Amino acid sequence: MEVLTIQGLKKDFGGKEVLRGLDLSVPEHSIFGFIGRNGAGKTTAMKAVLGLLRPDGGTIRIMGEKVRFGQTRTNRHVGYLPDVPEFYPYMTALEYLRFCGEIGGMAKADISARSKELLDLVGLGQERRRIKGFSRGMKQRLGIAQALLARPKLLICDEPTSALDPVGRKEILDVLLAAKEQTTILFSTHILSDVERICTEAAFLSDGRIAMHGTIPELRSMRPSDGFIVETERKEDAASLTKAFGELRPGEDNTLTFHGGRERFFAVMGYVAENRIPIQRIERIEPTLESLFLEVTK
Amino acid sequence: MRTLFAFMKKECMEIARTGKLTVLVLLFALFGVMNPALAKLTPWMMEMLSGSLAESGLTVTNVQVDAMTSWTQFFKNIPLALIAFTLLSSDSFTREYRSGTLLLALTKGLARYKVVLAKAVLLLSLWTLGWGLCFSITYGYTAYFWDNGIADHLFLAAAMWWLFGVWVIGLLVLFSSLLQNNTAVTLCTGGAVSLAYLLRVIPRAKAYSPALLMNADPLLSGAEEAVAYRAAALVAAVSALMFIILSVMNMNKRQV
Repeated sequence: MEVLTIQGLKKDFGGKEVLRGLDLSVPEHSIFGFIGRNGAGKTTAMKAVLGLLRPDGGTIRIMGEKVRFGQTRTNRHVGYLPDVPEFYPYMTALEYLRFCGEIGGMAKADISARSKELLDLVGLGQERRRIKGFSRGMKQRLGIAQALLARPKLLICDEPTSALDPVGRKEILDVLLAAKEQTTILFSTHILSDVERICTEAAFLSDGRIAMHGTIPELRSMRPSDGFIVETERKEDAASLTKAFGELRPGEDNTLTFHGGRERFFAVMGYVAENRIPIQRIERIEPTLESLFLEVTK
Repeated sequence: MRTLFAFMKKECMEIARTGKLTVLVLLFALFGVMNPALAKLTPWMMEMLSGSLAESGLTVTNVQVDAMTSWTQFFKNIPLALIAFTLLSSDSFTREYRSGTLLLALTKGLARYKVVLAKAVLLLSLWTLGWGLCFSITYGYTAYFWDNGIADHLFLAAAMWWLFGVWVIGLLVLFSSLLQNNTAVTLCTGGAVSLAYLLRVIPRAKAYSPALLMNADPLLSGAEEAVAYRAAALVAAVSALMFIILSVMNMNKRQV
């Protein structure tokens, strides 16, 4: 079942088309990476999903229910974590979650139990200070807690790790992985290593449309290999290979990197065999989402 | 209704914990004390100034003060209190837009009209509290020193100022639903009040201008009848309600 379906979503700001017929569907219980360069329209698309921006065209459905601009009915299915979440600084974390539960229409007893459970999950269970004393990482963790409070069917995270240091990033990714059991996650980012680490599916947003979409293994397989590393035993062999084949680029020590077609690689191997060149290692360079992304969005 | 109360509870917590409530209570209480105090001190001040006034050719004779002097001060000071209240409240909405706190509340399913209603109700309650405090303190001290009975239509005259405050709050909420920063909200609210004030120079429009409510002290001396303010009061009440309805409509169209 699809938790979120977007069809033909269009949005322009002052004549500049940001989204040009975006189509996207997010299946249940996936962690869906929504990848695009800065300014590609990821936040615009997410705000349209939340009914905060008026689309110029297209339809959005959450759990089959149509999203209408300015109305917040479909938001009962959604939890939202912005890139830099802002809270009322005079509240404590527990007070903020209680406030969120009350405006979200949750039952009183459930609010208390759920707030405590989530604060423990994000490591803020013992925190008694007001939010104004929180670090950015603590605010991000509180952001996840508020987004998960009402047990949403869909958790939308807008670049949740972009403003964090490596430790903070790891903490957030771990919490999102833990949340995977309870919800579907739409995770926008331009940090591709984060996507490779936690996402099950991803889509590349480019030029206002989805340029590529699939599971992470599917996406990787779309680019069979990014080349090979060839390491010779002797320095002079590395030099002669570089001279003979323009596709080979010298690296550190006797290492050469090959970027080229399959036939040319066979030619390199033939040359190696013919000249009895001793080889230390030959290693395939695994395709990364980053290289695919750069190819798709160039 | 529960979500509306939850948002109102947040608003109350905000004004209490950010110190706004303390500032407003102190401000209105100070004005309340100042009104009879200034009246009481007037003879002494005149006596102190009599020397320099005599040099200018002015002779100060026996200065009489009574409840009317105290209430005249009230009607001079309450505009200042309303200006201070407006300045303190002008960022009620815009602070939420700027910081992004409203965005998270809306994604929880909070209906936009409840944001407008909760904030409008809180501003009205605060204004009523401040105005009531200032009036009560002035009334108490004036009754202690003199006789309030000599002022006609005292409650009605003071209520005209309360209603004018309600009208200003309506404007404040309306401009807050349209504009992005509190300076623009304050300037537009001030501009609209000035426009209403200018309407008073047009004889046919004067009776309908909410700004007429700012000039309610002639009721005390009986120089004006209550009926003279009826149209202006009605216009102020109806337009304040319209402003709130328009604010809800604007808020529903607002892209956050």
